[in-house]
Amino acid sequence: MFEAFDYPFMQRALVELLVLSIAAGTLGTWIVLRGLAFYSHGVAAAAFPGLVLADGLGFSAALGAFGVALLFALTVGRLAAREEGGHDALTALVLVAALAIGVVLASDVFESGANVETLLFGSLLAIGADDIRLAALVSALALLATFVLGQRWLAAGFDPGAARSLGIRSPVADLVLLALIALAAVATLSAVGALLATALLVVPAATTRLLTRRLLPWHLATVALAAAEGTAGLWLSFETNAPPGATIAVIAGGGFALVALGRAAAAGLTHLRARKVVAA
Amino acid sequence: MSDASPPIAPPGAGAALVTAADLAVGYSAAPVLTGVSFALHAGERIGVLGPNGGGKTTLFRALLDELRPLAGELRLAVRAGTVPQTERSRLDFPVSALDVALMGTIAGRPWWRRPGRAERAAAHAALRRVGLDALAERSFGELSGGQRQRVLVARALVQDARIVLLDEPFTGLDNVSAQRLEQLLDELAAEGRGVLIATHDVDQARAWDQVLCLNRRQVAFGPPAQTLTLDVLAATYGRSIVTLPQDGGERLAILPPHHHDHDH
Repeated sequence: MFEAFDYPFMQRALVELLVLSIAAGTLGTWIVLRGLAFYSHGVAAAAFPGLVLADGLGFSAALGAFGVALLFALTVGRLAAREEGGHDALTALVLVAALAIGVVLASDVFESGANVETLLFGSLLAIGADDIRLAALVSALALLATFVLGQRWLAAGFDPGAARSLGIRSPVADLVLLALIALAAVATLSAVGALLATALLVVPAATTRLLTRRLLPWHLATVALAAAEGTAGLWLSFETNAPPGATIAVIAGGGFALVALGRAAAAGLTHLRARKVVAA
Repeated sequence: MSDASPPIAPPGAGAALVTAADLAVGYSAAPVLTGVSFALHAGERIGVLGPNGGGKTTLFRALLDELRPLAGELRLAVRAGTVPQTERSRLDFPVSALDVALMGTIAGRPWWRRPGRAERAAAHAALRRVGLDALAERSFGELSGGQRQRVLVARALVQDARIVLLDEPFTGLDNVSAQRLEQLLDELAAEGRGVLIATHDVDQARAWDQVLCLNRRQVAFGPPAQTLTLDVLAATYGRSIVTLPQDGGERLAILPPHHHDHDH
């Protein structure tokens, strides 16, 4: 049944997904906690024209993507992290502009049309050693930053108005979070692509959010779920010959729906029992 | 961390912890609150009175360095700690009471150091101080309203804030919780901290040392007995003040606010 993983390209894809789920799991938790889901979708989409440029001009794809993503983080992201609202429209605007510029560059300037689908939806079955190295780097940075800056990220999200009073005077901690999310989005591009990055970065964390009440269990559960959904999606895509990025996204979405439904059902049952107790 | 903190001045002694002189604050060019002049000394409790939208929260945001003065002067001798209003988003935050108290240790150590044994001991001591150490591992959102306020007071204690701001801390509390919190505020003042409390309850403010009446400008500031006159209350609360007939005379009543959105 699992002979799929006998193939070297499947093994590389699996390693990529497992390494990536460490970054996606730890950062995903912060993304959901700090309300940065739309930002992370935007920053992944913004990386797309960077990839096209890199492809066309012949420099490193990761460098091109991260350059554009970092620009997005420093402009739109800073507004998003301040949680004062009004940045949604701007994020959407820049997101659409980035996609449009990417498509125009790809089809009319560099005529790399065939690559566009790969860039937008990933090419998990063509993972190279460089992709895995980037994923490992991002995962290591995500763990280190969570260990060192986690309390500041938590305190600033819990009580933004008191952040300065608590001694979080500089915006550096939040900027590091935004830059790391940008880097993680770039790292997920080769696996699931610009449009499906949130399948790994946001959806697993949003799912486990429903089941955990402390940060550490939430982090651990999200890493485990991202790894499980990635593995399941990869295997299923091999068996059904479906594109792996999209399969992972569908499984992640289904997982969230199941957990949300389960929780609603449990709440309904508790309510029903309480009514019976009152009636008896 | 408590042994590193400076000793607290005895009540009423020394220079003011907060001085405001003809202060104006607001969010853009147009000020929301003008003409604020008052001083908070060690050991004093100041009740901040005013209607919703009167500028109480705006003043607090200026004291927390979130807003810069548009005019006038605002000087704080030390950094202020804050007990904010409970917002819904905070209730499902994945933090325990201990986690919240630990947030008070951030300012006391370099950015690369994680909270260690000393910080945890300080957080537990502060929770014990507010009578909640037994619930240290309880989720913040599962605590009662009064317990949540006390956890946030514990956070200010861990910070060793000598100025403590409380934004309508009594809203929604039952009598027992309110009494417990009021006693805690008295203790904070007794050990030489300056305490600013935004409240809707004029009667409660009569027990404190000073009152600051705000209605988009400073209406009055002084000891409650002399300051809380009919004229001052009418100017502070505008039309939401009514007189109720009572045996032997008339009694003033302040209508409860219609809605509870924050005045910012």
